[in-house]
Amino acid sequence: MDLSTLITPGTLFFFMLAAVTLVSALGVALAPNILYSAFSLLGTLGGVAGLYLLLGADFVGIVQVLVYVGGILVLILFAVLLTNKLGELKLNNLSTGLMVGAPAAVALLALIVKGVTTTAWPLTEEATAPTTARLGDSFLREHLLPFELVSLVLLMALVGAMVIARRAAKEEGRSVPEESHDRLVG
Amino acid sequence: MSELIFAYQDSGEEMTLNMGPQHPSTHGVIRFIIKTDGEIMHEAVPDVGYLHRAIEGIAEKCSYEGFMPYTDRVDYVCAMTANHAWAAAVEKLADAKVPERGEYLRVISDELNRISSHTVALGAMAMDIGATTPFMYILREREYVNDLLEMLCGARLTYNYHRVGGVGWDMPTGWRDKVLSWLDHFEPIIDEFDRLICRNELFIKRLANLAAVPAAEAISFGLVGPNLRASGVDFDCRRDVPYSVYPKLQFNVPVGRGEMGAVGDSWDRYYVRLEEWKESVKILRQALDQIQATEPDFYTRPKKLKPKGDAMARVESARGDMSVYVVGEGTTNPYRAHFRTGSFNAMKLIQAKSRGLMVADLVALIASLDIVAPEIDR
Amino acid sequence: MGWLAILIPLVVFVVLGFVATLLFGWLIPALGGDLHSWYAALLKAAFILLGFVMPLAGVLTWMERRQSAMMQDRLGPNRANVGPVRAFGLMHFVADALKMLFKEDFVPANANKLLFALGPVMAIAPVLITFAVVPWGSGVCAGHLTDRLTDGQLAQCLDTGGGRFQVVHLEIGLLFYFAIASLAVYGATLAGWASYNKWSLLGGLRASSQMMSYEVTMGLAILGAFLVYGSLEPATIVQAQGDSILHWGVVTQPLGFVLFFTAAIAETKRTPFDIPEGESEVIGYFVEYSGMRFGMFYLAEFMEVIFTSAIVATVFFGGWQIPGLHADGFVAGQMPHWLVCTLQFVAWAVKVFVLCWFQLMIRWTMPRFRPDQLMRLGWKQLLPASLANILITAGVVLALMPGAK
Repeated sequence: MDLSTLITPGTLFFFMLAAVTLVSALGVALAPNILYSAFSLLGTLGGVAGLYLLLGADFVGIVQVLVYVGGILVLILFAVLLTNKLGELKLNNLSTGLMVGAPAAVALLALIVKGVTTTAWPLTEEATAPTTARLGDSFLREHLLPFELVSLVLLMALVGAMVIARRAAKEEGRSVPEESHDRLVG
Repeated sequence: MSELIFAYQDSGEEMTLNMGPQHPSTHGVIRFIIKTDGEIMHEAVPDVGYLHRAIEGIAEKCSYEGFMPYTDRVDYVCAMTANHAWAAAVEKLADAKVPERGEYLRVISDELNRISSHTVALGAMAMDIGATTPFMYILREREYVNDLLEMLCGARLTYNYHRVGGVGWDMPTGWRDKVLSWLDHFEPIIDEFDRLICRNELFIKRLANLAAVPAAEAISFGLVGPNLRASGVDFDCRRDVPYSVYPKLQFNVPVGRGEMGAVGDSWDRYYVRLEEWKESVKILRQALDQIQATEPDFYTRPKKLKPKGDAMARVESARGDMSVYVVGEGTTNPYRAHFRTGSFNAMKLIQAKSRGLMVADLVALIASLDIVAPEIDR
Repeated sequence: MGWLAILIPLVVFVVLGFVATLLFGWLIPALGGDLHSWYAALLKAAFILLGFVMPLAGVLTWMERRQSAMMQDRLGPNRANVGPVRAFGLMHFVADALKMLFKEDFVPANANKLLFALGPVMAIAPVLITFAVVPWGSGVCAGHLTDRLTDGQLAQCLDTGGGRFQVVHLEIGLLFYFAIASLAVYGATLAGWASYNKWSLLGGLRASSQMMSYEVTMGLAILGAFLVYGSLEPATIVQAQGDSILHWGVVTQPLGFVLFFTAAIAETKRTPFDIPEGESEVIGYFVEYSGMRFGMFYLAEFMEVIFTSAIVATVFFGGWQIPGLHADGFVAGQMPHWLVCTLQFVAWAVKVFVLCWFQLMIRWTMPRFRPDQLMRLGWKQLLPASLANILITAGVVLALMPGAK
C-alpha cells in the first residue's frame, strides 16, 4: 500500500482518536484507583464521539457527547466521588475473575476479528452529508414502533429506580428529602 | 468542645460541617458544627464564646461611671440601649434622679439607634438570602442616623452618651429640626423598602414557614424583643415594664400575624422589625415634640456613687429585653454586674430548630433572629 | 453622561463590524487566502473570541460592579485609570486581571493536584468552544464589498465562498452547543471535589445537580423554536427571522423564550440561581482557588453570560437581523455590501449587549433560591411547561403549515 495515501489529515486524525480511545479504555480497565478509571472513561467516550464524527455521523457523535460524556459519566463520577473514604479504596481491576474473564475476552476478540475480516466495508462518497433529517425519518416513520417501545422500557426503568430508592430510604428510616420539606412547609 | 467534635465524627451517612467562626453569614465570630445529610441538616450545634471579652468582669474593676464606655461594646450595633440599661440599673441602685430632659434625650437616642440597628438586621438578612441591593439601600439610612448621633454625642458606633443621672450632652442647636426632617425622609423609605424586597416571591418562599416558633415555645426558650413578638406574644418592655418617659408616649407594639405562613416564622420575625421602624418614628416625633416643654437641665451627677444592695433594670433593646443586674457593696466599683441579652437565648433556639432544615435555611434563620455576636458572648 | 454609555459601545461595535467585514471580505481574499480553509475558521474564532467575547467579558466585570452600584445608589469603581485617562474606571478590569495574574496560586495541601488544575480549564473551555456555532452576521461575499448584492446573490456566494460570519456552519449547530455546554458540569464538580474542602464539595454537588437539571429544560424549551424554523442550524434560524419582528422567536415562541432564558440563566449559575456559589451559604465550589485559576472561573461565568445572550439573541431575537434590512438595504440597491455587513454585526452585538445588561439587572434584583426550591422549579414547573410548549408548538405548526412533512 502506498504510504502517501495513508497519511492524510483524515487518517492522522483517525489514528489520534483511536489512540486516545484505546489508551483511555486500557486506563478504565487497568487503573488501580477507581477514580482514575472513571476519568479514563472520559477519554474513551470522547474518543468514540470523535470517531463517529470522523465517519460523518455528526448527529450520533454529538449525541454521544451530550448523553454519555455530559450525562451518564457525570452520574458515574458522582457515585465515585461521593463514595465514602475514597482514599482507602484500592480496587484493582486486574485481580478479579481472571479465570472467568480470559476465555470470555478471547472469545470476544475472535468474534470481533472475524467480523472485521469478513465485512465488505463499503465506501460511500457522501460521508459528510448531514444525517439529522435521515435519522428523524427512520426513527419517527420507518421504525416508529421499536423506537417507542425502547422509550417505554426506559420509562419503566426510571419509575422502577425511583420506587426502589424510595422504599430503601423508608426502610432505613431516613427522611426522604421530599417529606422533610413537606414537614417544613407543613 | 473537642468532645462535641468527636461525638459528631462522621458515621458514614452524615457529614460534619464546620461553619464558622470565619463564615460570611454568621454575623461575626460564631461557630456552628453541623451534621448534614447532603443539604439537609440533622443538627446545628452552636459554639459560642469566640467574642468573649469578659465585659462583666471588667465591670467589677471599673467605677460605676467609668464602665459606661464598655457597655457600648456589649452590643455595638445598638450601643445606646446598653448605655441606657447600665445607667438605669445604677440609678436604681443608687437612687439617683434623672432630669426629664435627660430621659427624653435617652429615649430619642435609643429610638434612633433602634432604627439603625434594624437597618442592619433587615439589610443583612436580605443579603444572606442573596439579594444584595436592599442592604445597600437601607444602609444609606443608617448613615444618616449615624450622622445624627454623631452630632449628638460625637461618635458613630460606640456612643458613650448616657450617664448615670442623665446624658452626656444636650442636643446641639438645630439638631431637633434635622431629626424631624430626616424622619420625613425616612418614613416613605420604610414603604419603599417594603415594596423592594418583602413582597418578593422568592424572598417569601425562602422565609415563610421557615423555623416557625409558636408562642409557647418562644416563651420557653426565653426569646425576647422582636423575635418574641413575631411569635405572637404581645410583650414589650417599653410598654409592659415602663421605664424612662415611655409611659408618656403613644405607640403600638407590632406582633407577628403569620401573614405569609405560620405565626412566628422567619418572615414574621423580619416583618415585625420593619413595623417597629414605623413605631420608632412615631415615638421620635412625640418625644421631639414633648422635649421642647422640658427644663434645660439634662444631667444631675449623683454626689456620692457608692451604693449598697442590688438592682435590676430592663430596657427594650433592638434585640429585645436587655436586663442589667448590678450588685453594689458600698464601694466605687460594682461587686457584680450581669447583662442578660437577647441573642444568647436565640442561639439556643437554632439548635432546636435546625433539624430538617437545609444549610441554606440556617443562614436565613440566623439572620432572622438578628443575632449579633458580641451580644452573645459579652 | 448617560449617552456615553450608549455611544461608546455603539462606536466600538461599528469599528469591530467594519474590521470583520474588511478582514474576511477583502484582506484574506486579497492575500490569496481561502475562506473555506481551516486557517480562516481559526481567524474567525480568534476574531470573535479575542475581539468581542474576551473584552466584553472583561468589561462586564466592570459593568456589573458599576451597574450594581447605580442600582444601589453608590458610585462603584470609577478610579482605575491609565495616566490621565480615567474613563469611568473602565480600566478596572485590567487592574483586576493583573491582580489575579500576580496573586499567589495556592493549592490546598490535600487537594488532588491534577484535578484541581483541571477544574478551571474544564469550566472555561466549553464556553469558548460553544462560540463556534454562533453566527455574528450573515457573512461577506469576498470581492463584492462595494457591490449592491441581492439576497439571492449573497446566499449563493455564502454557500460557495465560505464567507459566513460563523466559525463553523454545522447542520446540528445547536445540538453541538448543548453537547459542549453539558461538559461545563465537569469544571464545577471537579473543582468542588478536588479542593478537599467540604464546603466546596457541597458547592460542586449543588452546581452539578443544578446544571444537569436545567440542561433538560433548556434543551426541551428550544425544541419549539426548532419546530418553527425547521432547523438546528443557528444561521438558518436567524435567516428565517428576517422579514419582520413578527418572525422573531420571542413572538413565535414566547413561552419557549421565557423557559429557555430562565434555564440558561440557571446554567450560568448567577443569582437567583447562584446556589452553587451562594456566597453567604457555601461560598462556592471555587472557595479554595486563588489567582488566575479563580480568575478563569470568574471569566467563564461572564463568558457564559455573553454566550447565553448570544444564543437567546440568535434564536429568539433575530440574531444579526434588522427587520426589513436585506442584503442591499431596506429598499433594493440602497446600500453597498460592506455597509450591510457592518450594520448586521452591530445589530447582533447590540442585542447581545442589551441581553447581557438585562441579565445583570436580574442578578442584582433577585434573592437566591433554596436548593430544593430550585430543583422543584426546574423539574416540576419548567420541565412540564417546556413539554407543553413542544406539544402546542407542534400542533400549531401542523395546523398552520400544511406543507410541513
